[in-house]
Amino acid sequence: MSVLSKDSPGKKTLFMGNEAIARGAIEAGVRVCAAYPGNPSSEIIGSLSQVAEELGLYVEWSVNEKVALEVATAASFAGLRGLTAMKQNGLNVASDFLFNLNLSGTKGGLVVVVCDDPSALSSTNEEDSRLYAKMCDLPLLEPATVQEANEMTRWAFGLSEEMGVPCLIRSVTRLSHARGNAELGRLPKNLPIPHFDTSRPIVPQPVMVTHKALHDKMKKCQDRFEESAFNLYRGPEKPELLVVTCGPGWMYVLEALANLGVEDRAGIVKLGTTWPLPKSFLAQHLKKANRVLFVEEVDPFLENNIKEFCAERAAELGAKTFLGKASEDLPNVGEINPDIVTRAIQKVLRVSYEPRSSQYAQEAAEAASLFAPARELGFCAGCPHRATYWSLKNALAMDGRDGIVLGDIGCYTLGVRPAGFEQVKTCHAMGSGAGLANGFGQFERFGLDQPVLTVCGDSTFYHAAIPALVNARYNRSNFLMLILDNSATAMTGFQPHPGTGRTAMGPEAPVVDIEALCKSLGTKLQVKNPFDVQDTMDAIYQLLQDREGVKVLILRQECALVRAKRQKALYKILVDQERCIGQACGCNRRCTRIFKCPGLAWDPATGKARIDEAICTGCGVCADICPQSAILKETV
Amino acid sequence: MENRGLQALESGVIQKDLCTSCGACLSLCPYLQSWRGRLVKLDNCDLTEGRCFANCPRTRVNLEAIHQEVFGQKYLDIEIGLFKQVKMARASSPDLRKKGQTSGVVSALMEFALKEKVIHGAVLTHRTPDHLPRGRVIRRPDEILSCAGSSYVAGPTLQALNQGPWDDTDRIGVVGTPCQVLAMRKMGVSPLKKTNLADRVTLIIGLFCTWALTYEPFMKYLKTRVNGASIRKLDITPPPERHLKVITADDHTWDVPIDEIRPFIRTTCGICLDMTSELSDLSVGTVEGVQEWNTVITRSDLGEEILNRAEAAGILETQPLPEENFKHLKEASLLKKRRAILTLKQRGELEDGYIVLSHELIGQILSEAKEAES
Repeated sequence: MSVLSKDSPGKKTLFMGNEAIARGAIEAGVRVCAAYPGNPSSEIIGSLSQVAEELGLYVEWSVNEKVALEVATAASFAGLRGLTAMKQNGLNVASDFLFNLNLSGTKGGLVVVVCDDPSALSSTNEEDSRLYAKMCDLPLLEPATVQEANEMTRWAFGLSEEMGVPCLIRSVTRLSHARGNAELGRLPKNLPIPHFDTSRPIVPQPVMVTHKALHDKMKKCQDRFEESAFNLYRGPEKPELLVVTCGPGWMYVLEALANLGVEDRAGIVKLGTTWPLPKSFLAQHLKKANRVLFVEEVDPFLENNIKEFCAERAAELGAKTFLGKASEDLPNVGEINPDIVTRAIQKVLRVSYEPRSSQYAQEAAEAASLFAPARELGFCAGCPHRATYWSLKNALAMDGRDGIVLGDIGCYTLGVRPAGFEQVKTCHAMGSGAGLANGFGQFERFGLDQPVLTVCGDSTFYHAAIPALVNARYNRSNFLMLILDNSATAMTGFQPHPGTGRTAMGPEAPVVDIEALCKSLGTKLQVKNPFDVQDTMDAIYQLLQDREGVKVLILRQECALVRAKRQKALYKILVDQERCIGQACGCNRRCTRIFKCPGLAWDPATGKARIDEAICTGCGVCADICPQSAILKETV
Repeated sequence: MENRGLQALESGVIQKDLCTSCGACLSLCPYLQSWRGRLVKLDNCDLTEGRCFANCPRTRVNLEAIHQEVFGQKYLDIEIGLFKQVKMARASSPDLRKKGQTSGVVSALMEFALKEKVIHGAVLTHRTPDHLPRGRVIRRPDEILSCAGSSYVAGPTLQALNQGPWDDTDRIGVVGTPCQVLAMRKMGVSPLKKTNLADRVTLIIGLFCTWALTYEPFMKYLKTRVNGASIRKLDITPPPERHLKVITADDHTWDVPIDEIRPFIRTTCGICLDMTSELSDLSVGTVEGVQEWNTVITRSDLGEEILNRAEAAGILETQPLPEENFKHLKEASLLKKRRAILTLKQRGELEDGYIVLSHELIGQILSEAKEAES
């Protein structure tokens, strides 16, 4: 039984932060949950999907974040509670709708969880989604602990209903993926039946009226936040330093003050409701000290807004020294951590404390290099993307016109790096490879003589590349789109998508056929198996010679991890130790130096290649790249 | 002489557009391939020494050392290289004359060498239906004519030499352009000689060459020039006419002035000092103003022996080369050297670059060529 559906109120339970958010939503009576997967948010909908049937929820993996927000909003419009969760980039996609929804308002509680990824651990960008709350005039909550993640989510639905606007919750990787205890609340009973009151259309117009109403809602929100227990002060009555923090920064500051032994010298203002600012609450505590340090993830959101507030109330609050990202007491890029916070406080309070040698990172790297081999980010053993990039690389070399490969978001983003033979030259937002290709594909008229290609995964294709492909067909852009169809949203954890024949709730679903879709657009189309590297290379080369219009090449081969779960290896691979002539071969270790599938290993003792049978998935591609034909594949 | 690897070949030759497309670096590793007349590098190779670099006719060449190795003599004759005899020759068989490029001499000599078991296999250049030159290993005399003719386009003939297949005792004959001959001679003095076929290459017939064309742009141009017709044969008429004769499938002959195709001459031909394949056993080229006869230069003992035996066997007919033609040949050869040296100087590659000649010799070439020009 999933911890999410346990009906044991008061029981302390270990949750991952994202599960605590999911549980909070369940306890609040959420009925509709929709998302597009994206780290570090994916487990919210992932875990909800596992209890959907049991708890009578509707949970879906939507085609993209905008659709997901719209699906969740439909619940709100029908008087149900809805939830959507996304990573920071997802909110950019959904924002067009959000910037209308704020004005039109909502009915049933609607919560938008955005999990930011400081340091871009699994993202293409670093972004602070909190600025949307200010831009859209929407309430924003920031949980600091797993317990708060649960409580705040539960509370957010009621707040949304009371204010008639969606409520944003901002998490970050260290909360979403951390584990901690949360006390279970009650599971809801007697959930409402959906109904849309057609006599009351929900539209943002008249804008002057709804915009004014939104500002009024925010004032009301602020009043509610003044009283919120999610905001607190801890510390002496007259601290030398006031630390304002939110999210996981709260734990870092607690740890830093304890380690430095300065709990009696510094006070902490911990905010859980970060927009609109609880101004009276803040004013009361900002009076306590003249030096204010801001500790928060990514952008100086509280820092800038509180500075602005202090300027408004300068007469009352007095002159302050503000410390934080602007003063460079804390870094203004990358994730913060207890060490960074400790150093900042130590510097301000002039405490002598060495949390960790300043040379630690360098020493650790040096020590690691003695024992651990340098490891590039790589594709898994038997990954079809490696085979695809191999063929692409060779086709472009043969073509010789310096073809431009415009990349997209997915495992195949590694095409930028040696794993994909550095073939990919751009990588931005979902579907942007296809969009950029639309532009490049028009530049032959100005003398561009480089062929244009874009690579796009199957999930990304559904998410955002289809409009670009329609545009290409319509405007006669000239490029080759490679759809790397591995039948999985592999990078975020194998969530189902419109091409997989499954939904978040499990049952069989119709497959949205990429081929049929492309054909209906009138694009030239071929389908190849990327494991046949020669055939794939020939197809890419030939398609590059066609200078008219958009061409689609679907390279279909199931993700090696998905396949390994389902079936045994296609082939047993072995290296014939007689035929492999090792260093004597002119190939200079083509298999392990260039192709670099982790299933291949170079044995320094024998000076020959061998197969790592534990991880080889038996795709057989390496057999085709060995110039000595020393790698053999035996049908299993 | 210092040998290096693919990275040095790439920076020193490929990127400088100096590749001759001779094929000497091909089929030795998976990283270099020839694709429609272009040398394509598929991946990086970090070996510090490779046969690709050692064999390349555009990496450092010590002509003195090669002359010592091949002829046991210093490099002295600066006009057409060392030679024993210069004659005019043609195949006795009218059939060979018709099917060969000019006089059928090369085909006749190779056929003879195979029949007489002087060699067991020959590496020749054949052309695909779209005139892309490729090396081909010929083992039967009656296959020779499949490789007759020229398309004036550089092609990787020596890939076939590297590729074989050869038996351990095979003696090999090769017909090649001056750069291809040079590549084979470099194999003979290579530090990696043990791993190449230099010792098995017994007979080298070198062709005269003033330049070669780059396949893709040239063929693209030619195709539009003949209104898309299928091209059957290409021939360049000797001076004073100097036309490219393009014979299309419908037997129509198109005369394309040479100046029109000059833009497709390979950059690397501009730094080539060798018009007459000076390092071959036997060199063959046209005779100015004389149809259906070739100039034949014998250089090595073997080259002379083959020519004499072929003539004695009635395979070839020879005539003395008229003095005026011999003079012209020497002048033309010298002019090519002079142009190459000036180009090398201009590119700043004479001292540090690929050719090692003494300053005296360079000075002599420049002054004598100037005299010849005036």
